[in-house]
Amino acid sequence: MMIPAIDKNQGNKEQPYGEAVIEVLHLKKSFGDNAVLTDFNLTVRKGENIVVLGKSGCGKSVLIKCIVGLIPYDGGSLKVFGKEISDLPQQDLDELRATIGFVFQSSALYDSMTVRENLEFALRRHGKHKSQTEIKCLVEETLNDVGLLNTINLMPSELSGGMRKRIGLARSLILKPAIMLYDEPTTGLDPITAKEIVSVMLMLQKKYNTSSIIISHDMYCTQKIANRVCMLIDGINYADGSFNELKTHTDSNIHAFFE
Amino acid sequence: MEIKEFFNEAGETARFAGRFFKELFSPPFELKEVVKQSYEIGYRSLPLVGVTAFIIGLVITLQSRPTLVEFGAEAWLPKMVGLSLIREIGPVITALICAGKVGSGIGAELGSMKVTEQIDAMEVSGTNPFKYIVVTRILSTTLMIPVLVILGDAIALYGSYLAVKIHGSVSLTLYFKQVFEVLQFSDVIPAFIKSFFFGFVIGVIGCYKGYNSQKGTEGVGRSANSAVVVSSLLVFIVDLIAVQITQFFGFL
Repeated sequence: MMIPAIDKNQGNKEQPYGEAVIEVLHLKKSFGDNAVLTDFNLTVRKGENIVVLGKSGCGKSVLIKCIVGLIPYDGGSLKVFGKEISDLPQQDLDELRATIGFVFQSSALYDSMTVRENLEFALRRHGKHKSQTEIKCLVEETLNDVGLLNTINLMPSELSGGMRKRIGLARSLILKPAIMLYDEPTTGLDPITAKEIVSVMLMLQKKYNTSSIIISHDMYCTQKIANRVCMLIDGINYADGSFNELKTHTDSNIHAFFE
Repeated sequence: MEIKEFFNEAGETARFAGRFFKELFSPPFELKEVVKQSYEIGYRSLPLVGVTAFIIGLVITLQSRPTLVEFGAEAWLPKMVGLSLIREIGPVITALICAGKVGSGIGAELGSMKVTEQIDAMEVSGTNPFKYIVVTRILSTTLMIPVLVILGDAIALYGSYLAVKIHGSVSLTLYFKQVFEVLQFSDVIPAFIKSFFFGFVIGVIGCYKGYNSQKGTEGVGRSANSAVVVSSLLVFIVDLIAVQITQFFGFL
């Protein structure tokens, strides 16, 4: 039996955060006969960190890929800064994407480029008014933020898994995005490195004042980062609320994640 | 079902090639990447093309000589070999070598970028991966294969000269004079023009297969493999069409 969401964040209740930056309404997405998102609703407000929890293959990554326009959705509405993603022409979509940072599960670093070139890639295409010195300073500052300035001339193949995640994070932040989307940022890392990544994420979130959606299975990460946790079950926003609210919830589907 | 899939694939490839032309003339122009790819595709393929061309020139001359000697037409050897190399063997062999080396390389590289989400990463950063990855590579193969064909032809002719020299004293000047006596623009120009199409076909197929790679590392292998198979086959088809067009315009 489906239960209503604890806090849909769309009602009259006073919000501690700013205006809505992402609004997902009745989102639908299927792959053939497999419907992964059936009627998904979510609002992300400025400064908010939302962790999306759900079983593997339930459509969490699909959701954030729809948000950034990588996967077209079948129905419903998906607005980022008030702009409907599916209506945007390519040029406007590219401009919007420059305001969204996306951290891939696999880091997805460009393996034919050095760390410096990885960070410069988007910057050179979006920050054309920036001088060579400004670009150099910005790259070094961002690498310094993630504590990996010493890797600037290394190739991605020379980096460890944790370092790759941090460089992926730095690359997403280089354009100073207003929204960050993280696809399982701590998956595949040892607990110590995972904690380091979480600290870096928190520090950067504070510094750049971003709103974030984090896809994660990591309860430590969820507890530390989430202002709100959203449960994606059977293609809908099954429940959302604070970490403690959901942890103490009696519904077995929700409770199973916190055991 | 397979016929339908074949036409679907052919249609998608044509659309992919169409997108190349659309993106080619719209800014931003990734000139630095074109130069880098031209270096990778052209310069790095030169040793393989050079060695193969040298051996082909040498072997064709050695194999043809006994027959021509039998008919007392040994003096025709430079002309015959020169014509064969420049009109047909040079462009086709160079294109096939590049289909194997460059086509598979592009297919595997782009396939690997696709399955490791690097192409998606470029897209979400608001840059156009098609322009940066595909346009630059197709442009580089289209421009570099003709250069490799010219260099390969020259090296093959030198190999042929050495083979002639084994059996008699002939100067390099005399050998090349004999070759160029028989060569006309109608031999050189069609061969040169078709090598642009060979380069284009190799680039388009390599990029298409890699860009649409699926199913993890297995898919990468499949992309590289089918890039070689399809582009080699298309080189022959383009060659056949080129011969028909050349004949139509009276160059044969």
